[in-house]
Amino acid sequence: MNRVTVKKATKYFGRVKALENVSMEVKKGEVVLIIGPSGSGKSTLLRSINRLERLTSGEVWLDEEQLTHHQSDIRRIREEIGMVFQNFNLFPHLTAMSNITLGPVHVKGMKREEADTIAVDLLARVGLSEKAESYPDELSGGQQQRVAIARALAMSPKVMLFDEPTSALDPEMIKEVLDVMLGLAKEGMTMLVVSHEMGFARAAADRVVFMDQGEIVEVGTPEELFASPSEERTKRFLENIL
Amino acid sequence: MAEVNPTPGQKSSRIQISDGALIPEQGEKTILSAWNISFFGAVALLIILPAITPDPYLKIIQFIPDGVLHTFEVTLASICFALVFGLIAGLGRISRNVVINRVATIYVEVVRGIPLLVQLFYIYYALGKFIQVPRFLSAVIAMSFCYGAYLAEIFRAGIQSIPKGQMEAALAIGLSRGQAIRMVILPQTIRVILPPIGNEFIALLKDSSLVSILAVADLLRRGREYASTSFMYFESYTVVALVYLVLTLFFSRLVALMEKRLQRRRRETRGDSGAPVRAAS
Repeated sequence: MNRVTVKKATKYFGRVKALENVSMEVKKGEVVLIIGPSGSGKSTLLRSINRLERLTSGEVWLDEEQLTHHQSDIRRIREEIGMVFQNFNLFPHLTAMSNITLGPVHVKGMKREEADTIAVDLLARVGLSEKAESYPDELSGGQQQRVAIARALAMSPKVMLFDEPTSALDPEMIKEVLDVMLGLAKEGMTMLVVSHEMGFARAAADRVVFMDQGEIVEVGTPEELFASPSEERTKRFLENIL
Repeated sequence: MAEVNPTPGQKSSRIQISDGALIPEQGEKTILSAWNISFFGAVALLIILPAITPDPYLKIIQFIPDGVLHTFEVTLASICFALVFGLIAGLGRISRNVVINRVATIYVEVVRGIPLLVQLFYIYYALGKFIQVPRFLSAVIAMSFCYGAYLAEIFRAGIQSIPKGQMEAALAIGLSRGQAIRMVILPQTIRVILPPIGNEFIALLKDSSLVSILAVADLLRRGREYASTSFMYFESYTVVALVYLVLTLFFSRLVALMEKRLQRRRRETRGDSGAPVRAAS
């Protein structure tokens, strides 16, 4: 069953083409890594999946629901799509705990105690139990990103989107975030990850998608794509980053 | 005008000149700082003058207190309504709804383009042709309508100074735009805009003297009443000026202290001495 389906997605920012006729399917439980040079449209693709960007044309489906339809209740659909940003985007005026419970309480209408229980569990899961009452300012980048992941998980999403989750982090903090992501992948979470973490790709990704200039150039398993890319553009890109 | 630094955390290189604020520069801590000299000088004069020459100074000082009360009433009522107008218009200025956006922008442009004194005349005398609004109410309406436009710009700038990612993160967890603004954006905005709002309050306190032309018995009006019956213009207006000075200097120090406390709290939670948001100068 397809969890996420993108059909002929095209996006222009004014006259600048960001996506051109991109189609892809992500099955339930699948982990898909999207790589490509900067400006290749990978973040735009990810952001159009929860409609932070509106497509110029094309469709995005979550299970049986088309979320690009103008009548679709995007707010409700967004509940089911977790998103993790490059810059964490934690709410600085709220504690780690309140960052996590904001969605469950105000979107799902959950009781505060119930939401607190969930938040405590999630904080334990990302290894930050003792930081529940800390404000984002008091946390390191890696810790903030782990809270951000917990915040997204608190909505029990059907799919998680990661937009370069480790590129704003110092090297020594990357692993703690990737470990959390690996754990999620093992538990069967459907994940779309924009990242160039090859180690993570090899360990967790079912497929790797290479994008360039707004198009999908090549798709394959990590082994296929990294070892023997068939397209010239993929080869050149991989030579540069490996 | 007080302006909000659009990029918190970064030093602004802009020169900001504000008309309302007499907020002491930081580091001005000597006993002979400008603020200390002006404030305690004014207080001392208000004590010494009546002591030396009770007639007329003591009489004047006994005559004006209910003027001060009216000045406060007008100022407080106006700032409250102005905050409401300002918040609504400020949100309107960032609304994606074209009509709302245009209406809010026109309000701000029009009101800021007409002198407050003219607006006072307009509401009381010109509109008096159709509906007679009581003096005090006219004064409050005009002042809050006018200051609402200035506050709208402070709200707008404050809201826009919050990084875009905050709104995106709020939407991504499923909050509606309204919820996102209420629960995520505005709470962060308040900290940024409190100091410039304090400045506007002081400016409003001073501008409230304009309402005396509507014969609202404020501080200036009471001074004028005393002067016109006693012909002691110099003495009356000296006291009026000194009282205004004491009031505005007092409030400016209060705003400065508040600003400092906000910075300190920010620094404490950050655990570093990161560049504070200096929103007013």
